[in-house]
Amino acid sequence: MKSSSPPSARRSAPSSPAAAIAWELQRRHRWGLIAVAAYLIVLAVVKLVVRARGRAVVFGSDESFAFAVIVPLDAILTYCLALFTYGLSGDLAGRPSMFPRRLFTLPASTAALAGWPMLYGSIAMILVWAAARTLVVWPSGIDTPVVWPAFAAAALLAWTQALTWMPYGLSGLRVILAVLWLATINSIVLLALHYDASERVMLAITVPQIPLAYLAARSAVARARCGVVPDWRGAFAWIGAIARVRRGSRSGNFATPERAQRWLEWRRHGRTLPALVAILLPFELALLFTTGGTPALIFMILLGLLLTPPFMAAFVAATVRKPDLDGREGRDDYGLAPFLATRPLSNRSLIAAKLTMSLWSTALAWALVVIAIPLGVWLSDTWPVVIDRWHRTVALMGAARAAVLALLIVAAFVAATWKQLVQTLYIGMTGRIWIVRASLVLTLVLLTAIGPLLEWIGSTSAVRAALWNAAPLLLGVLACVKLCAAAGVAVRLFRSRLLRDRTLVLGAAGWCVAVLALSAVLSWWIATELFPRYLFVFAAILAVPLVRLAAAPLALDWNRHR
Amino acid sequence: MVISVSGLSRRFGSKIALDGVSLELSRGAVYGLVGANGAGKTTLIRHLLGLLRAETGTVRVFGLDPVQEPVAVLSRIGYLSEENDLPGWMTVDELLRYTRAFYPTWDDAYAAELQESFALDPGTRIRNLSKGEKARAGLLLALAHRPELLILDEPSSGLDPIARRDILGAVMRTVAHDGRTVLFSSHLLDEVEEVADHVTMISRGRIVLSGPLDDIKTAHRVDGRVPTLNEIFVATVGET
Repeated sequence: MKSSSPPSARRSAPSSPAAAIAWELQRRHRWGLIAVAAYLIVLAVVKLVVRARGRAVVFGSDESFAFAVIVPLDAILTYCLALFTYGLSGDLAGRPSMFPRRLFTLPASTAALAGWPMLYGSIAMILVWAAARTLVVWPSGIDTPVVWPAFAAAALLAWTQALTWMPYGLSGLRVILAVLWLATINSIVLLALHYDASERVMLAITVPQIPLAYLAARSAVARARCGVVPDWRGAFAWIGAIARVRRGSRSGNFATPERAQRWLEWRRHGRTLPALVAILLPFELALLFTTGGTPALIFMILLGLLLTPPFMAAFVAATVRKPDLDGREGRDDYGLAPFLATRPLSNRSLIAAKLTMSLWSTALAWALVVIAIPLGVWLSDTWPVVIDRWHRTVALMGAARAAVLALLIVAAFVAATWKQLVQTLYIGMTGRIWIVRASLVLTLVLLTAIGPLLEWIGSTSAVRAALWNAAPLLLGVLACVKLCAAAGVAVRLFRSRLLRDRTLVLGAAGWCVAVLALSAVLSWWIATELFPRYLFVFAAILAVPLVRLAAAPLALDWNRHR
Repeated sequence: MVISVSGLSRRFGSKIALDGVSLELSRGAVYGLVGANGAGKTTLIRHLLGLLRAETGTVRVFGLDPVQEPVAVLSRIGYLSEENDLPGWMTVDELLRYTRAFYPTWDDAYAAELQESFALDPGTRIRNLSKGEKARAGLLLALAHRPELLILDEPSSGLDPIARRDILGAVMRTVAHDGRTVLFSSHLLDEVEEVADHVTMISRGRIVLSGPLDDIKTAHRVDGRVPTLNEIFVATVGET
């Protein structure tokens, strides 16, 4: 009996699970892989040209080398992490495994399902390092390691795969564990480097981690394949109980559709940030007991505590901006769920519910921090150091300015937390997965570039001076761009009738008041001839959120009525 | 007219999903929308709900544009889809309380009656319900606010006969109450034949046949024998 499939299909059909998994990975990510190959070809051409001219390569500074080589290589490694963990198509902050469920029904063993992507990932990491080692024109004076970075990258990927594919009992726990675990592994490697460990020692540290990570990943996939998703949310039910007592609506009905929607948003996303902060706080506060009264360490830990809510909010935002209900796999998860889309509720109210939920979530997370910090400082007996620093600050700038400074710092962190939660709503609300992915790639590239860029600015006095001189112009241009974009969004909102005229006017007035208040506080607090007052207005215009928030209803409208 | 669609066309890439569809549905009848998979039934329904914007042509429901005025239109519609994407983390009771808030016409007594007849435990999470129970929960939400227009998009696809009987029974009850309108989309033609007064057949994005079911059957009579809707469908769609 002859096969009925066309010859082209027969030629390209994968013949084994290993080939099928490889085919799917390369097919889905062909454009990214082509970009990686193109970069490596550019490196090779540069090297050939340099070799042909017989010149030694001298980079002006470490930063210029970082820009040309390290930043793109970092971006490639980050991309490989996302690709081989299937991280681009899952919910990083969610509880279930991020391993694609569609693969569980394939007639392949769990060892194969977990093993092949890990093997391909490890090979990719090793090849990327080998290509970089061979093709990059390394500046003279750099003692480039031979093999161990390849295995360190492979181990990093393997652990990331294991942690990503593991189901968790709490939303966001994956992010916390991944950050802690990967930071620990990196610290071990950095420690070994610090003590000038040899290539063999580095290999001894990194290579054994790969099989260990494989065992962890296989166990994770096996659990996920059986549908195991532990549920530890009961331990944090008290947070929900507080909210219910406050609302008093457990047994009653919702008075308005808006209240019902706020309740839905709170139940879906509101408790995640406070829960994550509640998990991290004890560990961070425990560090206060190890400072030995060193002020620098104490204030470093306190800064870490203040940074925890905005940092975790950046991860929680990835789920908050999803308009879907349950994360339906194998579909465009960012499309508005028909159940929600067919509720008789305006786009304005759907967005307002998310904004209000984010406010309550931020408030609860910060309530925990505000209670925990004095408690931790008191229990760890570091109170005298904090009081002493406060007295010195008061002596330096006066009680009123010191109090305003403290309030401004806390207010800035609280505002940053809320801003983190809501500023990417406009991306998720579009419902277009390609926009979400493009923004993710752009963010990764910017994050990778920002470190070397800041270091370059900090270490190059000419650049610093040029930036300082151009600061008023730069701030002015940025403020104008923001205001023009805001005007464009406002016109679209007005024409589409998505917001009432009254809401538009009140929103604009509220924003103006916030900008004026912030610029007034800044010009009072930084009373110096060095800065003209209009700079504070520019800074306030850029700091107070406007365009991205205002664009969220437009994005949702584009999603809901396609 | 409850629904008025005129010259509606829609493309998804190079695929024409709807091609110049015009349709009018008046109050107080059951309309069956039939067609093969991919014929354009769901695309048409998504336009009626305002989930798709008309590329060409106009869509009016209760005289209103569902994209421009979604709240006014959706508050008068009960909708049950084959997809049935109810939030799995809610309990049945929470789902009812949540949905109730959106509809001023919500009838608590009727909701309780339906909940009892469908044997839905209020404390059970939606994700723990069977497929049939989920369909009943969705049907309860669609009916309990006594909508003027009930839209059912392949509601009984993949369900057991008892769940299908519940759904068909609900359709009959809805019509019996104050002459409400039902748009019932299905490729299970026996079901449609059982409940529909009017039938619209859609094939490759075009309406190929539309009218009262009795008239259609009479017009397709062969040698005095009245054909079934299945036979008419095969004959009509096979010709296009």
